[in-house]
Amino acid sequence: MNEYVKPTLILAAITLCAGLLLAGVNSVTYQQIEMLNEQKEKDALAKVLPGFEITDTNTAPEGELYWSAKNSDNVKGYAFISEGPGYSGTIRVMVGVDSNLNIVGISILAQTETPGLGARCIEVQSSNTFLDVITGNLTEESDPTPWFQKQFRMLDGSRQIFISKKGDWNESIARELLENNEVSAITGATITTKAVRDIIESGIEKYRSIITE
Amino acid sequence: MNVQNEFFKGFIEKNPILVLGIGLCPALAVTTSISNALWMTLATTFVLICSNVIVSSIKSIVPGHVRIPIFITVIATFVTVVEIVLKAYQPDVYSSLGIFIPLIVVNCIILGRAEEFASKNGIFISIVDALGMGLGFGTTLVVLAFFRETLGANKLFGFTLLPGFKAAGMMALAPGAFITLGLMLWAMNSFKSRS
Repeated sequence: MNEYVKPTLILAAITLCAGLLLAGVNSVTYQQIEMLNEQKEKDALAKVLPGFEITDTNTAPEGELYWSAKNSDNVKGYAFISEGPGYSGTIRVMVGVDSNLNIVGISILAQTETPGLGARCIEVQSSNTFLDVITGNLTEESDPTPWFQKQFRMLDGSRQIFISKKGDWNESIARELLENNEVSAITGATITTKAVRDIIESGIEKYRSIITE
Repeated sequence: MNVQNEFFKGFIEKNPILVLGIGLCPALAVTTSISNALWMTLATTFVLICSNVIVSSIKSIVPGHVRIPIFITVIATFVTVVEIVLKAYQPDVYSSLGIFIPLIVVNCIILGRAEEFASKNGIFISIVDALGMGLGFGTTLVVLAFFRETLGANKLFGFTLLPGFKAAGMMALAPGAFITLGLMLWAMNSFKSRS
């Protein structure tokens, strides 16, 4: 009898201690975690709808949240979250559009793409090099938006968005891309690029009736 | 028991990755950048020290045939603590290490040290053992990450190294990890057979 009871009691005692410790750690940190999540949502909204003031948080028929907003010129804007399969896992994108379905901005909230390839969709192009770090010549980034996400700004979401392979986005190709309603794919990660495009388009499709009404 | 020996064995003589061949999953997965490798080292060493202390102090009351579930409970508890704390105070690190934080539970180094060392030795020497093993593991990770980050992403600590230089993307992916690890194993073996 004792050979069963004693190990059981000891194991139970140790799991109890573990549970108490975790409950303690959780009660100390949960407020901080909740605050971070709210902050993250706020930051993302500011990123996808720059210059807009959020007026309402609404619930779509399927139960997801979307936000309506207004800017100083009284143009209405909307932000919603859309997700879909990427190259290796789900990609979650927050999209900001105005009432004419022009994309104001996008922000990739979650992704698990390949580091160095698809994951470059969240990479901020930094002009700082390691030499600058050593010599102390760091310059502050003026716009810390990843170039991949920047190029979706001002695209017409009511039409199809095209994908071209022009290499990394830069100012010199920006106009041409905008005129053709296209984005430049991440080199070696066309699937990720297509996935993000499709996620944005399906999101716009879903909210089209709400936005244009 | 020699404190110095117990500390330094983790670096060369019993290096977890290069000699014992354990802890390979994080060694391959999180070494795309030096900062990831450093955070992984910190997290693993913390869990290793805590679990060694607890296992060593309860070794006399742990019945032999339930020791593995007990060790795993202890390890999983500390890993969860690390996970929650990172999530609350280092969200960027938490999101870039992702699934590899909870996977520390199944890192053989930690259970291996609990079983092989802490359950047979005193608390102080178990801490020394955990520190040595954790830092030996970490040194290997950082060296691996140094080659992969510089060659695979043309970066060091997240900053571009040579502007305009095209990085060998393969080094940032799984093949680059295996090749670098293989070369490091070779270097370690040839060093050990000579000395």
